[in-house]
Amino acid sequence: MTSAYKLALAATVSLGLATSAVAAPVLGQPAPGFTAKDGDGKTRSLAEFKGKTVVLEWTNGGCPYVKKHYDSANMQGLQKSATQDGVVWLTLISSAPGKQGYVAPGEAKTWKASTGAGSTALLLDPAGQVGKIYDAKTTPHLYVVDKAGTLVYLGGIDDKPVADPASLKGAKNHVVAALADVKAGRAVSTPASKPYGCSIKYAE
Amino acid sequence: MTRFFAQILAALVVLTAFPALAQPVDTGHLVAELVARDATVTPGATTYVALRQKIDKGWHTYWRNSGDSGEATRIVWTLPPGWTAGDIVWATPQRQPTGPLMNYGYHDEVLLPVAITVPASAKPGETVTLKAAAAFLVCEEICVPEDAVLTLTLTVADGLAQPDPTWGAAIAKALADAPGPAGLTGVFAKQGASVALAVTGAALKGVDLSEAYFFPFDSSILDHAKPQPIERGPDGLTLTLTPGYAFQEGAGPKAMSGVLSLGDKAYEISADVGALPAGASGLGPPPKSSGGDGGSLSLPLAAAFAFLGGLILNLMPCVFPILAMKAASLAGHAHDRRAAQAQGLAFLAGVLATFLALAGALIAIRAGGTAVGWGFQLQSPPVVAGLALLMLAVALNLSGVFEVGTSLQGAGSGLASRQGLAGAFFTGTLAVVVAAPCTAPFMAPALGWALTQSAPAALAIFLALGLGFAAPFALAAFVPGLLARLPKPGPWMDGFKKLMAFPMYGTAAWLVWVLTIQAGNTALARVFAAAVVLALAAWLLGVAQRRHAEGGKPLVLTGLGAALSIAAIAAAVWPSYGGPQVASTQPAKGGAPTVPYEAYSPEKVAAAQAAGKPVFVNFTAAWCVTCQVNEKVAFATQGVADAFKETGAVYLKADWTLKDAVIAAELAKHGRAGVPLYLVYGAKGGDGVILPQILTEGLVVRALKDAQTR
Repeated sequence: MTSAYKLALAATVSLGLATSAVAAPVLGQPAPGFTAKDGDGKTRSLAEFKGKTVVLEWTNGGCPYVKKHYDSANMQGLQKSATQDGVVWLTLISSAPGKQGYVAPGEAKTWKASTGAGSTALLLDPAGQVGKIYDAKTTPHLYVVDKAGTLVYLGGIDDKPVADPASLKGAKNHVVAALADVKAGRAVSTPASKPYGCSIKYAE
Repeated sequence: MTRFFAQILAALVVLTAFPALAQPVDTGHLVAELVARDATVTPGATTYVALRQKIDKGWHTYWRNSGDSGEATRIVWTLPPGWTAGDIVWATPQRQPTGPLMNYGYHDEVLLPVAITVPASAKPGETVTLKAAAAFLVCEEICVPEDAVLTLTLTVADGLAQPDPTWGAAIAKALADAPGPAGLTGVFAKQGASVALAVTGAALKGVDLSEAYFFPFDSSILDHAKPQPIERGPDGLTLTLTPGYAFQEGAGPKAMSGVLSLGDKAYEISADVGALPAGASGLGPPPKSSGGDGGSLSLPLAAAFAFLGGLILNLMPCVFPILAMKAASLAGHAHDRRAAQAQGLAFLAGVLATFLALAGALIAIRAGGTAVGWGFQLQSPPVVAGLALLMLAVALNLSGVFEVGTSLQGAGSGLASRQGLAGAFFTGTLAVVVAAPCTAPFMAPALGWALTQSAPAALAIFLALGLGFAAPFALAAFVPGLLARLPKPGPWMDGFKKLMAFPMYGTAAWLVWVLTIQAGNTALARVFAAAVVLALAAWLLGVAQRRHAEGGKPLVLTGLGAALSIAAIAAAVWPSYGGPQVASTQPAKGGAPTVPYEAYSPEKVAAAQAAGKPVFVNFTAAWCVTCQVNEKVAFATQGVADAFKETGAVYLKADWTLKDAVIAAELAKHGRAGVPLYLVYGAKGGDGVILPQILTEGLVVRALKDAQTR
């Protein structure tokens, strides 16, 4: 391969990334594909879970809004019941190296074990590529993709956009509702809500 | 004794009236406290209490819509029976970009006032404690939820509420500055992938819209991080917004509300879905204000540019005839330093007075809403005709046909007389009037900046320009060495003066040419007839002056001369001129290579760029000598003609010889107040690159080739 060809290829690839990063994901449209490495250094992709309902959860262990759901074991409970139901739950960390919440490849397994997470996989997105493709803004920020690969929910985990753990009581969990709708073959009644929490610590 | 007691009591009341119980609480990354607008409150009245956040450096709290992340500050009140609290009166937030995200909030310090209703049953003299549980998210890179229970003690008293000595004024200001409704009408419509929000109303007319930004109350309406391009209209503005996920559900929202900030002012607006009003667009984006990116200038820098520009203006082609007059005038009193200095000062005064008068007129006309720029007076045919006759009169005077203010014998010696000073002042005035159509390097950005500023700042720039323009002549009169170097006066001066008449005849001829472009060929006959009559009048006056010098009383001749000159000028100025007969066809002069061009419009630029062609836009005017010189030196060359052919570039001319609002707006957009302006747009789109005001063949060729690949 000549260097000019390599350069052209690199330019095409980065252009492709740039354009897909600009277009925000659209409800009712196919969820954008992506690849990311898990704690074992293995490359995982959305495509490998075709035919299954997939939940994407952006997280950051130091974020008070994430803590509200993890310290109360609310999130882990959701993950476990969903995965038992055959749902694939992918937790993503898009904090850039040097930024708050960054998890190095070697620490990913420890992170997952220490939180007692029940998700299918923890995926690392240090370059923020997946986060930008999905226009993910906050931690937590959740997306639900149905079995046909269509994006059916995007937004917050529930309707109480505060960090106070007391707010869990009486909160309407949008992800639980969306998964129930998908399972029952109904249209998702609340397909979008305000994502709330800390900003994702992308590279500047 | 009782009196003493009463005094102690009064002092106590004064002490307790001060809201001493406002204990600040350091919650970790900010200090929170409740502060009161009023030291005493009146039963049945409404008072304001504010949550003050003194935020650590680098940290911030959030507005009611926190943007992409974060959380708004909340207050839960515990109040005595009968007392009620309203919602937070939110100050206009700041934009806080973090990576690809955008948050809305506050840093440093913010007052969040809340209306507190005092019950009518409150008893004067009693003190009550208000309790507020405030919760807020404080973020730097990381976010920390913090909270505090704050208290404030208020004293109820009869009569007018007394302002709190510490916080009264600050809270009153926060309330006054908080965005409120201003009778603005908002309409929005989905347009492809974006949403156009049009806002119209009196509050948006004639104000600087360059900082306009819409903060939505609902976080689902917009993609907060996307820029909001601004388009102005006669009645308001249109912002192009990127929709948020609310537009993905069904038909999208039917209404949106929020705060429209203009930088220094902000208004609450609500908008409904509908057809966009015509008056909210059409005038292009606002000119870049100071403090913006790129060509931003400060007042001292702009003044320095103006001074330099004024200096250079002396060397510009259109000022040459005036230089000639100055030289003749200065050489005339080289032998007498004091006389020369007086002349220098009078000239300076003439220049400054005229610059300020022109600037004042320009500012006043612009304030009236008419888009005019530098050289605006030459866009009027009667002014051009009048100036042509004036130049002719000056030329005839230099040729010796008649004299102004001096006797024949005294020529060259009695110039320090009062008439001589008036003459120098008049020379200054004339110099500015003729120099106006020229903009020199440095001067263009300074003037462009000046016209976006307040009137005093704009006048300061024009003053600096005038000082620079008059400096060489005024200094020459004061520096002994310079004056001494000028040749000694003598009979040669008469010849020099007569020689200098010819540039003035040339100027008159040039102005007539400008007039024919503005008003067509019929104007030619009229202005030439007026010129002949004026020449006759000048000759008659000259004859009368000679008779007078010989001791005669040539009243009839003088009267006839004066009457004829008035008639000539009147005929040139009135009645008004018609328009140009034919849209000026391309002057295909034999030999000189010409580049075919089209009339400019912003749409043509966009269309050519869409077709992948570079675009060269020439903002020019017939009365702009710099422009005309560039046409000859740079454009009428084989190299440029070839470069246009090779690159396939589209050549557009924006002719500003007559008034044109679209061209004026485009000039303003590029921070300019006048012509020339040369813009080169790349073949692959994007903004135009500004070329220098003095062009060369090589420069244009390089710019075109560069634009082909850009």
